[in-house]
Amino acid sequence: MSGEPFTWRAGGCHCGGVRFEVALPEAVEAQTCNCSMCAKTGFIHIIVPQSRFRITKGAERLSEYSFNTRVAKHLFCAECGVKSFYRPRSNPDGWSVNARCLDTTEGLELRIEAFDGQNWEANAAGLAHLSKEPA
Amino acid sequence: MTAALVGHCHCGAIRVSLEPGRPVAELAYRACQCGFCRRHGAATTSDPASFLHIEAAPGAVNHYRFGRRAADVLLCEECGVYVASMIQAEGGRLATLNVAGVALPGFEGRAPEPATYDDETDEARLARRRARWTPTVLVEAQPSI
Repeated sequence: MSGEPFTWRAGGCHCGGVRFEVALPEAVEAQTCNCSMCAKTGFIHIIVPQSRFRITKGAERLSEYSFNTRVAKHLFCAECGVKSFYRPRSNPDGWSVNARCLDTTEGLELRIEAFDGQNWEANAAGLAHLSKEPA
Repeated sequence: MTAALVGHCHCGAIRVSLEPGRPVAELAYRACQCGFCRRHGAATTSDPASFLHIEAAPGAVNHYRFGRRAADVLLCEECGVYVASMIQAEGGRLATLNVAGVALPGFEGRAPEPATYDDETDEARLARRRARWTPTVLVEAQPSI
């Protein structure tokens, strides 16, 4: 993976109050999820290490919601409710960015797979590598 | 008579009950392609022959407005979920409900039909909403359903 070129891509919520940037290669693994939370927010996950994500505007406008184990920190814009990114329980060392919130997916190949979040315990380990920093 | 369909936002602070005025399989199921609905992954239903009851705990609703500010967008203050958009018409309130946001049963296995309303005039938009949206009552009180 090292040496792979990344492009910083911008995105944000609907009202424009929260903005972020994420460094992505041209082809990106992404996940839909059928858990109770993701199904209700339509979240399409792009999980990245800490170093490939930054909040560029509106961190103070984020509301935090957590439930069950309270490990995941679900963040949404207090104004428009949009969940642009959050700290996932599967990858608390990284971030999950919502592909729906990228300004454009032009030139980006999203390889979307269905993650079975209804059986989270059996499947979450398969995502852990996505937030690992390069050695 | 078809039984009421019930659902709620993730945390449960906003609860809905839809009394279908026709078989559930015949209810519209749409994915509006606007920037708001896309970011919320919304998949909505509305039907003038049905009745929608929305009940929210006091202070649980974040009323968001955007664009022409004609619709009152109901978001959960606690969990952020988009529940419904509502307008005030002569005969009362009308709404379109985010089926995905409240995990309303009865739509499993159906793909929402993409819908684009970008080119509508204000008049055409209001006329469409009056013709299609669901008569609705919003009660902001302690949940009982």
